[in-house]
Amino acid sequence: MDLPLAFNSELFVQLLVNGITLGSLYGLIALGYSMVYGILKLLNFAHGDVYMIGAFVGYGVLTLLGGPLSPNIAIAPLIVLMFLAAMLACGALGVVIERFAYRPLRDAPRIAPLISALGVSFFLQNSALLLFGAQFRSYDSFVLGSKNPEFFEPGPLTDPVFVVKHVNIQLVQVIVLATTASLMVALTLLVAKTRIGKAMRATSYDREGAAMMGIDTDRVIASTFFMGSLLAGAAGVMFGLLFSQVFHFMGFLAGLKGFTAAVVGGIGSIPGAMLGGLLVGLAEAFAAGYLGGRWADLTVFGILILVLLVRPSGLLGTRAIQKV
Amino acid sequence: MEAGEDRPRVGVDEWVASHDDRLAERTGFAGLARKIDDRVPAWARLTLFAAVAATLPLWMGRGDLFAYGIFTLIYILLGLGLNVIVGNAGLLDLGYVALFGFGAYFYALLSSEHYGIHWPSAISIPVVVVSTALLGLVLGIPSRRLLGDYLAIVTLFFGQAFVVFVNAANPTVAGHGLTGGPNGIADIDPNDIFGYDLSSRTQQYYFILVVVLLVLIGLHFLSESRTGRAWRALREDPLAAEAMSMPVNRLKLMAFAFGAGIAGLAGCIFAAVLTAVTSGNFALPILITIYAVVILGGIGSLTGVVIGAIVINVSFQFLAPENPQQNARILFYAVIVLLLVLAVRPWWRLGIVLGGVAVLGVAAHAIAAAISPSWTSGAVVEGGRLAGVTSDWVIIPAGHERFANAAYIALVVLVLTLTRVHGWWRTALVIPTVYLSAIVWETSFVEQPAVARWILFGALLVFLMTVRPQGLLGTPRVEIV
Amino acid sequence: MRKVPLFELKDVTKSFGGLTVADKLSLHVDEGEIVSLIGPNGAGKTTVFNLVTGIYRPDSGEIRFEGRNVVGLPPHKITQLGIARTFQTLRLFLNMTVKENVMAAAYGHTHSTVFEAIFRLPRARREEREIAHLAEEKLAFFGTRLVGYRMNQQAYNLSYANRRRLEIARAMATNPKLLLLDEPAAGMNPAETHELTELIGRLRSEADYTVLVIEHDMHVVEGISDRVVALDHGVKLCEGSFGEVCTNPLVIEAYLGLQGAA
Repeated sequence: MDLPLAFNSELFVQLLVNGITLGSLYGLIALGYSMVYGILKLLNFAHGDVYMIGAFVGYGVLTLLGGPLSPNIAIAPLIVLMFLAAMLACGALGVVIERFAYRPLRDAPRIAPLISALGVSFFLQNSALLLFGAQFRSYDSFVLGSKNPEFFEPGPLTDPVFVVKHVNIQLVQVIVLATTASLMVALTLLVAKTRIGKAMRATSYDREGAAMMGIDTDRVIASTFFMGSLLAGAAGVMFGLLFSQVFHFMGFLAGLKGFTAAVVGGIGSIPGAMLGGLLVGLAEAFAAGYLGGRWADLTVFGILILVLLVRPSGLLGTRAIQKV
Repeated sequence: MEAGEDRPRVGVDEWVASHDDRLAERTGFAGLARKIDDRVPAWARLTLFAAVAATLPLWMGRGDLFAYGIFTLIYILLGLGLNVIVGNAGLLDLGYVALFGFGAYFYALLSSEHYGIHWPSAISIPVVVVSTALLGLVLGIPSRRLLGDYLAIVTLFFGQAFVVFVNAANPTVAGHGLTGGPNGIADIDPNDIFGYDLSSRTQQYYFILVVVLLVLIGLHFLSESRTGRAWRALREDPLAAEAMSMPVNRLKLMAFAFGAGIAGLAGCIFAAVLTAVTSGNFALPILITIYAVVILGGIGSLTGVVIGAIVINVSFQFLAPENPQQNARILFYAVIVLLLVLAVRPWWRLGIVLGGVAVLGVAAHAIAAAISPSWTSGAVVEGGRLAGVTSDWVIIPAGHERFANAAYIALVVLVLTLTRVHGWWRTALVIPTVYLSAIVWETSFVEQPAVARWILFGALLVFLMTVRPQGLLGTPRVEIV
Repeated sequence: MRKVPLFELKDVTKSFGGLTVADKLSLHVDEGEIVSLIGPNGAGKTTVFNLVTGIYRPDSGEIRFEGRNVVGLPPHKITQLGIARTFQTLRLFLNMTVKENVMAAAYGHTHSTVFEAIFRLPRARREEREIAHLAEEKLAFFGTRLVGYRMNQQAYNLSYANRRRLEIARAMATNPKLLLLDEPAAGMNPAETHELTELIGRLRSEADYTVLVIEHDMHVVEGISDRVVALDHGVKLCEGSFGEVCTNPLVIEAYLGLQGAA
């Protein structure tokens, strides 16, 4: 383990920035888990793989429009298109998954949708492997949009927007943070102020009761999946922009950590998911920076287990009181 | 029961009592399986299994015995252990595979060149089993405070943490990486019976068979005892069980410990038989396979676990990359035909479907060949006995990679659509679906059999859960949600 | 000399957040009595049961069984000491057979270990026979309804009234001294109710149980009770014989409001 001898403030800030960026990603994934669990009490293990598909769809759009080294359109609309395509595709995928793999199991014993979710996860992961092969695809975000990509001249994405204590905060990171923030705000407003949001909340408290009140629970649940998967798709493209590499297995570990974030924050709670995401992202960044990469994942898991043992319903979750 | 009652009166006692029997009469294959489970007494089933299993080394080659015999037995053992936790006590342990891994690695540490320790099995196996049971106990402690889903989460992460620990953390102990990192631990001693090494596959097979039989017997008696009943009660309704004098927390821990101990035992055997262990042996896909074994047969049923293990492992091995593809192909087509026979009634409709598939294939093949020879010139991978038929009937293009992908996606869409339509529409759609699946098989699946395996497995899990969540031998459970 | 009551609550208080469900509640049951607990919905009757059986822990006060304080003991220990209950919303082990439901409850007073079970040692085999016999005996208490082929049926196949009887049989299998029955007549028709009233009497006369019953049906209450305790909002309103209690103005007010009392 490499422990710095003196407290290096530059390293600290860099890790902080990394952690927050990563945390945004995890938070978006966590939201999908949280929303679905809140409404169906289902742990949607396939969610991470939806995120992976989002990253691939973004890559597909990139390739269709000329590829990272020679895009046909300007980078700003390109990125917007990638986001939109991934979000819509993933939203649709989420709805399809719910319709075929979960809806028939609404009243089945709890283990059934869990196993079904795992089956969907295997299916998606390996389908991606079958269709795209095992090699990594790259967004080449380092040179994306640059004037001379062949000479490895950096594109605009890595341009520093702010500088804090000698640490560059790059454009791509600002994009990620800004997009996450706006999506979060949009979602919170939607759940709190709109009719569909109210329907979602009602269904999550008591599905049968909501149905009896005239709420079309099937549609509400489908919308929930749509929104959650939409966010995952956005997160997938963000990952590609931040780290370039997309591969069929990326959904697994990211999904797991997003899931950790959802549980740590209190599963079923929307602000909890973002808080959990931030915590997990920061924990991973700092553990990787100070303890070495090998311990990063274990630290994250350790935090999860600790939180669950001390506060089983998560940081912002509510304890369910059972009426006997 | 009154005499002279010939016709069952609906709603009256005897009619209600015979409800289960009537259900059993109706469901075809699964009903037959259930009848065997119900009517044939346990000792007879065990003897039958033992007798059949004992003959395997007589007609199977060493390689097959290893893949089909030994591995099936190990999966049975793992399934039995998981069954104690999930099936009996109703606790969702998603970290079970890590207990298996712990047992394997610990055995490897005690009986290999890694640290030069070579304890005889008579000592190392009990030590490992007890240690794994204790670890399982520790894993179960959170179950006091955590309700179902949270327990699943904690155990899942324990499982992941184990893999990461073994793979990446690999701390240095006594001058050596403890777990060997990504390479794992190799040169593991075989199991031995008081000094006599079990080095041949046949010897190992019989040893493991005896172990499995003993565990089956032990678990059967356990299930019929007050502890077994208490576990079942705990699974039904923990609150009521607690109120009816059963110490629920203690019972949960016992279930964890027991299941873990069996996993540890399986780990010892696995490590010895493979002579090497790596973290890849204990990752999530293996966990899900064990779950599939337990679920397929019907949670809680010992016979179900045995059948589930046989079905799953045999199918897996058939689709293994090392296996000649012609066998897998025969299995594939056989399964399709079997499915059609079971699902499409009456027989004349089946005839239409089969005929339609044949005609569609010939027509499509002819059209494709007419468009351009390259469309049908792709070689059939390892043709074998069906090569002649397949290459003339299935469109296998050479060098049109997009086609294979498009066919795959089209197949997925068709299958999903099939579940939504009924009647003649469905019968009509089956025809192109079957043809497409042949195309997908020949163009994509045979090229990447390992991937195909997991795709089919994932699809099977979803299908199984949506169609029959109680598994083959399970009865539909009434659950209080 | 005053007899020590078999069971008593002393100034027991329990709150959930802002809601006080039991407010300095005191009551007692003497050995061999049949006491009824009445009160409108939400009065705290089931809460009393939950407090007694250890499912809830009182914020303050004592709960004594046979003179011994049972506060803080886990529910299974309390049952093993001799208090058994049924549930207002039936909680049977639905996928187990009728006989198994009853046999399961005998866990608390048997002792054979897991190892004895696996190796079929004599004590395990003997206890199995005894438990099976006990179950048959308890089920036979209810006449022919739960015996014979019924014993091997899954519990979910039973009719509602039979399920209620099975719950009681199961509680009996724990060999209790005190039986707590939570609305045993709920949802029963007049014939079944009448049979139940007789049954509760037999629980005392033939099986020597002390019984505390929560009931809404006043016919049942009248038919079985030595004493009646009336609760409302976690507070004991009054206790006494059936006649005394049901003419008490506080009780009438609790059920029917002030107009009714007037």
